[in-house]
Amino acid sequence: MIQIIQSYGTMILAALGQTLILCLLSLLVAMVIGLIFALLNVSHNRGCNFIGTVYVDAVRGVPLIVLAYFIYFGLPAGMKMLGAVDFRLTALQAGTAALSMNCGAYMAEIIRAGIQSVDRGQMEAARSLGLTYGQSMRKVVLPQAIKTMIPSIINQFIITLKDTSILSVIGFPELTNMGKTISGNTFKSLETWAIIGIVYMVVIVSLSKAAKRVERKLNVGRL
Amino acid sequence: MVKENAKIMVHVENLKKDFDKLEVLKDISIDIKEGEVVVLLGPSGSGKSTFLRCINRLEEATSGKIIVDGMDITDKHTDINKAREDIGMVFQHFNLFNNKNVIDNIMLAPVELKKMTKEEAHDKAVKLLERVGLADKAEAYPSQLSGGQKQRVAIARALAMNPGLILFDEPTSALDPEMVGEVLDVMKELAGAGMTMIVVTHEIGFAREVADRIVFVDGGYIVEQGTPDEVINHPKEKRTIDFLNKVL
Repeated sequence: MIQIIQSYGTMILAALGQTLILCLLSLLVAMVIGLIFALLNVSHNRGCNFIGTVYVDAVRGVPLIVLAYFIYFGLPAGMKMLGAVDFRLTALQAGTAALSMNCGAYMAEIIRAGIQSVDRGQMEAARSLGLTYGQSMRKVVLPQAIKTMIPSIINQFIITLKDTSILSVIGFPELTNMGKTISGNTFKSLETWAIIGIVYMVVIVSLSKAAKRVERKLNVGRL
Repeated sequence: MVKENAKIMVHVENLKKDFDKLEVLKDISIDIKEGEVVVLLGPSGSGKSTFLRCINRLEEATSGKIIVDGMDITDKHTDINKAREDIGMVFQHFNLFNNKNVIDNIMLAPVELKKMTKEEAHDKAVKLLERVGLADKAEAYPSQLSGGQKQRVAIARALAMNPGLILFDEPTSALDPEMVGEVLDVMKELAGAGMTMIVVTHEIGFAREVADRIVFVDGGYIVEQGTPDEVINHPKEKRTIDFLNKVL
């Protein structure tokens, strides 16, 4: 065990760095996707509702691993048929796309539920003063919705962090991929996977502890 | 207080409103003059609140015409946000913005809609809070106020846009009895200052004392209307008499 840490420690940390980069990038994009599709879903326009529902259903209905294969292998193949022979995606690009699409669909549902948890009277009062729908959303409804969303968002962050491991299948050099390499080289599966597991656990537990603290701070006073 | 030859503030013509199969408003026509205080009475489910919500298009009229201060509310081409700036509304459940303190509740619309600078809106908000007797609550959050205080802030918030008309949708129905008075006092003061008001309420005492006109609504129609003395003391229609017998 100590031997593995001595010879592979820096590589494990580098792989953890890759995992975190992939996770953070995906979360950022997922927040934007989530907000857009949540707003489509709560709008009073049927066309918008339809687009929102189709996206959420489609992405949630496909396993992440299939989505990753589709984007990483399928998309370039499709582009080739269309004539774009040079089209290539890096594992980071494809991974970020797959993970943020996936996480974005769940985020859309979380944000939609958050918006709908705000009493209708808040929107009505804002509209009755002459504010537009967008102004009312931004200034009144969303700030209140965010509070109820925070626990679910943290939960989704943790799921997404763990889901990065699935992207080892497209060769992205993240933590789980590193585990495969190490156990292949050393034949010490037990030790290797124990170490990899512990690294995930330490990161996730400390993140969720920090998030809990933020949550508590936000809930002081108001509401 | 209605002046001689006051202009028509609200004109409603053959207003109909259905919710799917349910006809709530069947045929309502009424003219309300500037400075007039009109109280709508009627049993619950009679369509009073729906009527009020049609006036600022929180509910879309099924057919008919509503004109407020020259703006055609029922016309799809009317900028409804612009029209609403001139129509204040006070809700049964106050609907103060929970994420904002009292002064920000009042300042939000004037600032956001560029009616006033931040400084002007702040000065105005402070004056309005004095007017409703809550100058010391400017920094409080809605959750720290009593129901009566919340409703007074809500009235101040509506006034901040300098509306020509204020709609009151059962403003005291969600209040503990001992807080009803403080809200009615603010409304009386507003009526005395010449504000045009349409009030849905069950406070017969308030209606008797403050209303220029009482409109009795039942089953989606205006059944009877007139001065408080005419409608409350000498009702002509059987439905009005039945209703008053129950509430008085």
